[in-house]
Amino acid sequence: MSGRFGRGLRPALAGLAVLLVAACSDRGDAGSRGGATAVRPDVPEVERYGGTVVVAGRNDIASMNPFTSLDVESLQHQDYLLFVTLMKADTQEEPLPYLARSWRFDADSTAVTIELYRGLTWHDGEPVTAGDVVFTFETARNPAAGYPNRAYFDAWAGVELIDEYTLRFTVRPAANLFYGWTRLAILPEHILGDVPPEELATHPFGLDPVGNGPFRFVERVPGDRWVFEANPDFPAELGGRPYVDRYVYRVMADDATQASALRAGEVDLLTTASPANVSRFEADTTIRLIHYDDRDYDFIVWNPRRPMFADPAVRRALTMAIDRPGIVEAVQEGEGTVAVGPIGPWHWAFDTTDVALPYAPDSARAVLAAVGWTDSDGDGTLDRNRQPFRFTMYATPRDKWRRVATIVQSNLRDVGIDMAIEIREIAALQPLVTSPDRRFDAFMLTWIPDQTLDDRAMWACDQLAHPVHFSGYCNPKLDAVLDSLLLVTDPDTYAGLVDRYNDILAADQPYTFLYYPSHLAAARVELRGVEMDARGNWVSVADWWLEPSAR
Amino acid sequence: MSVGLLRYAGRRILQAIPLLLGILTLTFLLLHLAPGDPTATYLTDNVSPEVVEQTRERLGLDQPLPVQYARWVTSFATGDFGRSYVGGESEVAELIGAALPNTLLLGLVSLVIIFVVGCWIGVIQAVRQYGISDTTLTIGSLALYSMPGFWLGLMLQIAVSSSWWPDALALPVSGMIDVRSHASMSLLGQGVDVARHLVLPTIGLGLASAAGIARYMRGEMLEVIHQDYIRTARAKGLSERRVIFRHALRNALIPIASLLGLYLPILIGGSVVIEKVFSWPGMGMLLYDSVYARDYPVVMAVTFLFGAIVVAGNLISDLLYAAVDPRIRYE
Repeated sequence: MSGRFGRGLRPALAGLAVLLVAACSDRGDAGSRGGATAVRPDVPEVERYGGTVVVAGRNDIASMNPFTSLDVESLQHQDYLLFVTLMKADTQEEPLPYLARSWRFDADSTAVTIELYRGLTWHDGEPVTAGDVVFTFETARNPAAGYPNRAYFDAWAGVELIDEYTLRFTVRPAANLFYGWTRLAILPEHILGDVPPEELATHPFGLDPVGNGPFRFVERVPGDRWVFEANPDFPAELGGRPYVDRYVYRVMADDATQASALRAGEVDLLTTASPANVSRFEADTTIRLIHYDDRDYDFIVWNPRRPMFADPAVRRALTMAIDRPGIVEAVQEGEGTVAVGPIGPWHWAFDTTDVALPYAPDSARAVLAAVGWTDSDGDGTLDRNRQPFRFTMYATPRDKWRRVATIVQSNLRDVGIDMAIEIREIAALQPLVTSPDRRFDAFMLTWIPDQTLDDRAMWACDQLAHPVHFSGYCNPKLDAVLDSLLLVTDPDTYAGLVDRYNDILAADQPYTFLYYPSHLAAARVELRGVEMDARGNWVSVADWWLEPSAR
Repeated sequence: MSVGLLRYAGRRILQAIPLLLGILTLTFLLLHLAPGDPTATYLTDNVSPEVVEQTRERLGLDQPLPVQYARWVTSFATGDFGRSYVGGESEVAELIGAALPNTLLLGLVSLVIIFVVGCWIGVIQAVRQYGISDTTLTIGSLALYSMPGFWLGLMLQIAVSSSWWPDALALPVSGMIDVRSHASMSLLGQGVDVARHLVLPTIGLGLASAAGIARYMRGEMLEVIHQDYIRTARAKGLSERRVIFRHALRNALIPIASLLGLYLPILIGGSVVIEKVFSWPGMGMLLYDSVYARDYPVVMAVTFLFGAIVVAGNLISDLLYAAVDPRIRYE
């Protein structure tokens, strides 16, 4: 047999090599990797314009319709890129002028007159007027529109159109009165004004929007990307044209893919960097990590309808039995702080002298023994009235929760509690934890409170039937605090109420507040001007700029 | 194509109708057996139960299951896949229209790689049986065959994005195009851009399967090249190249060709993980996201289409078998 076909392997491999080299010959504009990059510390503003910034996130932007949006990606792209809000918020969530240039209250504070900026236009050329604000307001408050955050405007009773750029709202005193206006994008009355409110959810505007903000909508590819371009006509008084020419939001569901794409220069920013990738990013001189605090906290709900969790002393013991500092180190790679209550350091009124319950398994055992939980039969599991301390903990499938659940299971095993873990995705968990009969023993989750601290649905005695009233906790003293938080405007009184809110829940432990996670984003060093805080990842997007070498 | 073959194909298509209806029904039942519904994302204290109920009514989720099922079947029969429950409630047909070509591109290119690379390696192995080439390729193909495709894809992604990877061999690690510059490229440039983005996903999706085809091809070739007619061909003085490619390979390809149709559904199904790993905007990503979001219309439509592709793949396989082997006749 001839050896000719064995030799056929070599030309084939050579041909393949040639093809690979030809295909790989141009990296495009991804930039260099591994070596030092040209990052000049002081670039004049006039030289900052240009380039395309690419951002990757796990979830697609669902819609540009604020009346149907609940996801963070949609809401922040509406508020910071495509549209303007009536007001902006500073880092303390105090209102700042934006579309509303000024406002003044009547003498009795039951009405506020708002003057709008004159000269802003929609991206189709129509002027932005008070009519758009009235339309947005009335639609937000209309139950038929189904706006999920209608409660933001509970204190706003009505509106009167004074002229094309002046409105007068009837209001009642409330804390964080303007919060809703810093979160709701103003929508075009000339496009949506004739659409029945119940049809807004399916109107094509959500996927083919016309904005009025610093960026214009260009295109959307479902499940893949949204593309925006800088609005050259955005008024300087409102911030002016963004530095970047184009902004692309890419959907990348996988953390490892995001990390690889960032390192390869295919994306410039990951809005959420997984703690598991921290060491890789820290070792890469082309990437920098952005640390910021957000409002969320991770927690365990103990169902007090189960006899074993009914006693606050038992719940405090469970909290002391769990090594929360260890969880922060092991799961969050140290990025987080042990939680005191639902209000974390992100809030200006957070009391930094508050001390979390310690990790003290011996004390936990003592407390449990004092209320009757002992290992009477010597099987290693505590029991009371012949009932073992045994329950099931639900957790969602994310790697973080699996690891937290495993640590908690081990910690509780050390004090004689038998905990089983059941993993359920959120859609399967929701019916169990929100149903009226609350079909769960315990579960762990992340919660993101509003700046308004309107948490009555979660804690108030008259909200026990609300789907998110997981704990069934009822304390009239807490109710009084929660009611006052919505009304009090004096900062010192407000701060006292916030502290009291945390203290009451820390004492009764309806939840074990695990920790406040620090948040990580990761960006290529050539992307400058990125700032993130509790207002959102995209709060500074109009100020982002790219080094010339990266354009 | 003979009349018998056409009749056979027609009969198979008619048989597919109840099969696809069964797939639709099973998918519907499984979706509704799974706990939760699309309003699971409404897990915030700002969303009142009234808004949740309003949403369920609008989406028709408050209707009895038989009513929902009847609505599905009727709309599918008329080609209306309905609207997505999420994502701005786009038309499902629009979502599929955007995703399906991307999955087909990935699948078909992978199919070509699988069969071209696999057959070539198999031929070499058979011709050089027990030689160094055969041994090396056997070890290599077994190793590749043992690797999960998505793992191979992830490892390639990490390697290519690492600082030590040579710039000259740089390849895109995600997506389908260079989002920064694709729009400004020429048509040829855009084609090259897509081709570059195809390299890693097709390796992840195809290489392990190519190893399997190589083993299969090796066995078929070995069976053929020891036949009497091959010895006769050599005795007649034909060149070895002509003997192998004109006479042996053609017969060895008969069973391999029938695998073409069977691999298409395998690739479409395997695309779910590969597309997620590489952020390739295809049907796999669409299905993955829709299952988690309980986006029933999209899940139903995609599952239905996958089922149709499987049915089509089996039919293509049978027809190809008849086409390449004159001994096969369908009555």
